[in-house]
This record gives sequence, C-alpha cells and structure tokens, in this order.
Amino acid sequence: MNKLASCFLQHGAPHTQIFKSYHVQRSPSLQLLENRSVSMTRHRAADRAARGTIVDVAVDSGTSFDFESYLSAKARAVHDALDLTLQGLRCPEVLSESMRYSVLAGGKRLRPVLAIAACELVGGTAAAAVPVACAVEMIHTASLIHDDMPCMDDDALRRGRPSNHVAFGEPTALLAGDALLALAFEHVARGSAGAGVPADRALRAVVELGSVAGVGGIAAGQVADMASEGAPSGSVSLGALEYIHVHKTARLVEAAAVSGAVVGGGGDGEVERVRRYAHFLGLLGQVVDDVLDVTGTSEQLGKTAGKDVAAGKATYPRLMGLKGARAYMGELLAKAEAELDGLDAARTAPLRHLARFMAHRQH
Amino acid sequence: MAMAFHFHPLVASRVHFSPLPFAAATGAPSPSSSVAIAAHYHHHGRRRFSAIVATATTTEFNFKAYMEERAVAVNRALDAAIPAGGLPAALHDAMRYALLAGGKRVRPALCLAACAVVGGPESWAMPAAAAVEMVHTMSLVHDDLPCMDDDDLRRGKPTCHVVYGEPIAVLAGDALLSLSFHHMASVGSYPPAVDPEKHPARVVRAIGELARCIGSEGLVAGQVVDLEMTGTSQTVPLELLEYIHLHKTAALLEASVVIGAIIGGGTDEQIEALRKYARSIGLLFQVVDDILDVTKSSEELGKTAGKDLASDKTTYPKLLGLAKSREFAEKLVSDATEQLACFDEEKAAPLLHLANYIAHRQN
Repeated sequence: MNKLASCFLQHGAPHTQIFKSYHVQRSPSLQLLENRSVSMTRHRAADRAARGTIVDVAVDSGTSFDFESYLSAKARAVHDALDLTLQGLRCPEVLSESMRYSVLAGGKRLRPVLAIAACELVGGTAAAAVPVACAVEMIHTASLIHDDMPCMDDDALRRGRPSNHVAFGEPTALLAGDALLALAFEHVARGSAGAGVPADRALRAVVELGSVAGVGGIAAGQVADMASEGAPSGSVSLGALEYIHVHKTARLVEAAAVSGAVVGGGGDGEVERVRRYAHFLGLLGQVVDDVLDVTGTSEQLGKTAGKDVAAGKATYPRLMGLKGARAYMGELLAKAEAELDGLDAARTAPLRHLARFMAHRQH
Repeated sequence: MAMAFHFHPLVASRVHFSPLPFAAATGAPSPSSSVAIAAHYHHHGRRRFSAIVATATTTEFNFKAYMEERAVAVNRALDAAIPAGGLPAALHDAMRYALLAGGKRVRPALCLAACAVVGGPESWAMPAAAAVEMVHTMSLVHDDLPCMDDDDLRRGKPTCHVVYGEPIAVLAGDALLSLSFHHMASVGSYPPAVDPEKHPARVVRAIGELARCIGSEGLVAGQVVDLEMTGTSQTVPLELLEYIHLHKTAALLEASVVIGAIIGGGTDEQIEALRKYARSIGLLFQVVDDILDVTKSSEELGKTAGKDLASDKTTYPKLLGLAKSREFAEKLVSDATEQLACFDEEKAAPLLHLANYIAHRQN
C-alpha cells in the first residue's frame, strides 16, 4: 500500500488536526487575496527598496499567505476539472462508474496542487497547468487501482472503502486503470491545446509523465517493491529502499512539479530547480509516512498504526533509527526550501508552505 | 457508433468482387494473372478498378515485399525503443518478450502507408508506428490475463503472464502504454528533417487521437462491453456486436491510419477520408475473422475454437448467414477503396493492397 498516497488522499480530516502543528493564522481569504493581488501589482511597479520591504513582510510574517485557503481552493478546482473531464466521456456505464469511483474519491490533491504552484512559480497561469494537474491525478489513481489488485498488493480496502476491484470486479478494475492512463495523456494533449499551451511544451510534459508512469517511475518502483517483499527481513538496504520510494512515489511528485513548470514556460534552469525541490519533497513525504507509522495513533493515521513494522517491511526508522529518520526529514525539508532561494518570494510562498506542511503533518 | 447495414438485392448485384489474388500478393507477377485481372475488372467498367489494375501492372507493386520490409523496419524501431539490459530487468524483459514476439505488424504498416499517401516521408511516422504496436501489444498482454481472457498461448508461445507472472504482466502492460506516448512525444524519436514549425502541433494532435482510441471511448470500451456480455446466454444483437468490434479492433486500426496521416501533414479532408477507410477495414477484419471461423478448422487458424467472449459466441455468420456475411465483407472493401479515390494511385497502392489482404487472408 502506498502510504504517501493514503495520507495525501485522506478525506474529511478535521482541519484543526491537520494544522495543529503548523502555525498558520487564519485570515479572511477574500481580503487576503485582494491584498496579495494589490501587493503583487505594487511589487511590479515599485522600486527595489519598496519591493524588498513588501516581499519580506509577505514571507516572514506568515500571515499574508493563507495556505489552507490556497490548498482548498486549488484542490476544489482540480476536483471540478476531473469531474468535468470524466462526465464528458461517452463510454460503457460500468467503466465510467469505475473510473469516477476512484478518481473522485476525494483527497487533498497535493500532487495536482504542486503542478499548479510550479506553473505559477515560473509565471504561468493555473489554467495552463490544470490539464497536467488532472493527468497526474489520473496516473496516480490508475497505479493505485492496479496496485490493489489480487495479483499485486491484494488490498481489499483503500481509505476505508472497498478497492476498485472489490467494488467492480478485477476485469473492470484492470480496464479502468488502463483507461485512466490513456485518458491522462489524451487530456494533456487536448487540454493543453485548449488552454493555449504551445505544442512543444505539451509534448515535454507528455515525455515527463510517460516516463514516470512506466519504466522510469511507478512501474519500476512497484517491481522493485515486490522483489523486496520476498527478501529476508533486514536485507533491504537503504539504497534499495530509496530506489523503491524514489520510483514508486517521488518520481510522480517530481513529474507533477516539472510538468507544471514546463507548461508554464519555465526556462531550463527553473525547471531543474523545481525538479530538485520536488525530488526532495517526494522523499520527505515518504520518510514522514514511515515515521508516522511508528509514532502516530491509528486514529490520526486513519489506518492501523504499526502495520508496516508488523509486516516486517523495510522503513526509514528501521534502517536509520527514529532519531536518524527525523534528522533526515529536517535535511530533506532544508534541501527542498533551498531550491526556492533567490526566487520571487510571493511566487514561492505556496511551495514553501507545501514543503513545511508535508514535513509537519500528522497523518 | 454502430454501422447500420441494410441488405438490398441491387447492392448485391452491383458488387461482384471476385476473390482473385493480386499478382503482387502471390509473389512474382505472371502475365496470365495480370491479363485475368485486367479482363475481370474491365468487364465492370469501373474507373477505380481500372486504376487498381493500372497500379498493379505498371508498377508491379509487391505487397509481400512491402509488408516484410515494413515489419523489419518496425521491429528495428521497437528493439531500439526498449534496449536490452534495461532495469528493472524483469520489467524490461517482459516488455521486450511481448513486443518482439513477432506478428505481421499490420497496424504499423497502416500508419506508415497513411503517412506516405498524404505525401509525408515514412520516417516521420515511424515513432507513431512503433507506438501503435506498443499499444496493441499492451492490450494483448492485459487481455491474456486470468481475470480477462485467461489465455496461456499466443501465436504458439506462452503468454506474458505465464512466463513472467501476473504482477509483471500487469506492470509491463502499463509500462508499454506509457512508453507509447513517451516515444511519440520525444523530440529525439523523429528525424531532423521534420517541419519544425508544424511538427509539434501535429504530434500533440496525434497523441490525442491515439489516446482517445485506446481508452474509455475506444479499445477499453470494447473490452468492457465484450466482457459484460460474457455471462449472458442471449445472442448479442448486431448493433452491439458492431460496437464491440468497432471499439475493440477498429479503433486502434483507425488510430494507426489517422495518426500516420496527421504526422504526414495531411489535410483535414484527407484525414477524414482515411478515417473512414480505416473504420471499414477495421470492421472488415472482424467479419472475415468470423467467416474464417466457420470455414476453417482450428488447426489452420492457429488458435482454439470455442472461446468465451460475447464476440466469440455471436458472429456475423450466425446473425446474417454466411452468404450475407461475405457480401458484407465485399461491401466493406468497396467502401474502403472508395475513400482512397482522391489520392495518388501509386501512393495509395499499399492501402489498397492492405484492404484486400485483410479481406482475403486465410488466417
């Protein structure tokens, strides 16, 4: 089971718990958005000194940017876009239901939001990023559907609901995964054209997503994961564990960010910084997952705590010790944030907050 | 979209397509065969048939050699697309096993021929030709799984899941699907001489077409309906049988032709004419399959009789009778041929011969 996905896709979690360890003060979102808009406008017209002053305030105070509002607004936009895309299909009803069942099952949509934030970072619009944001979520969902099947992880439940193959049968689940994978690429191609994204950028996004969905990412990670499950307890090295997590999880986080930056028109240097940021973010998410499995309560996690330990799976706390794993979390967070240094502070705010949110979440 | 076909006595009398083999299709052309062909078609006084004769006799088009050359070129491209020795080994090996297991490469040939008929160099369409074969292979790998068709043999060889196990077969299918888009979208896949201004938009459009023909409005939809009808004892109505075949088989054949034409720089009118050609030969493929099932023994067909899917139990001969099925096949060839009337005769020769090959094959 993909724990990072499980946490990402937590549905209906109480907000107070989500942000309990993350010091964000609430502000009226409309007024805040207006303020940010004015601030950015003034930023473009003002001299260097004034710009610096405003930027410093926006970042350091922690009150000018409302991450909670940003996250929920973007997640809603992605959900609506996914819903609309799936509604538009003319296909057998059981297939449509199966696809919608898993894609629209809720979740925080952190990967799609990352794609949008990366696009905006390099000066693109959210609208330009929505097709790749949806595609990332479809690819992710397809991999979960196939991962849960009896011949793979054989999970009967996902986020407390029957898995797709339990609800619809193995054949339909297999085909729904295939259909979502195809739809992801169709959506990047047609959706990007519809959003006015230049064709060469759309193609680079397809290359990025095509790699991560296959031998360069998820499929490779799943193969390595299955191979490691048969290995004697304790024989999986840190390098091997990292390979599994990089390919199975972090690569898709990376592809989400890179695709967003690419369709946003980012230069090569910008895209590579985004890639490194997302690489560290993806790994950070996985280390946090493993730590929470040891330290969290079942109630917080929405599943049985200690399951991975009980199953004898290789985890970071097991290989590095809990203290070592926590230190690694700090290191990854610092590395991710370092990639944002020197860039426009207002544009990096969503990504900085996302990294901190990832590091300090409780489930 | 189901095709409605209504029989009319006059239609039957107007369409007398004799299954005479083309001289080229049988190897070295012989004077008597050419004369016989000419005599046969001249009797009907049809311009396009005269064109066919002219093509066959003046250029001595060698269909067998054409197909062999394309298969070799395509196999070379496929071999290069998934280099031996890639990691993880099990995944790469499974992908190569399935993809390089032989086959006539009809879909790639259609793609290359469509590119040529609109005036593009075949090399422009080779990445797309490879992509359609990857997609075709992916559908076979997933179709053969125990929860689907549960086949242990394909083309006389053990199927992918038998050799590598179900988990790897699921992942290999996913990876092949992702690779098809990655390969088509990669700049490095194409020769330097493609039109730099127009090429990216053409590839984006082609990717949209390919993805649509694979997913919930294409190949997957056909598979879902085919499986849905499996459990019932009732005969499948003609409209539904056509739905299954148009989606399960014709959709990918259509995509093969259409994306070849798009990348070759065809006009919208040319692309639509070729789309109609492709739909006719896609349906033709299945009608002939059903006719062969009735008229040939299991041994000759290289597969086992008495399969389980709805489209195996309900056939055109069962619904229409053998004679009417043959007439329908002739009608489809005529329809396909008609769509090629606006193209240069010499360039259209491969597509004409492919249609006739599909109509008159014996296995």
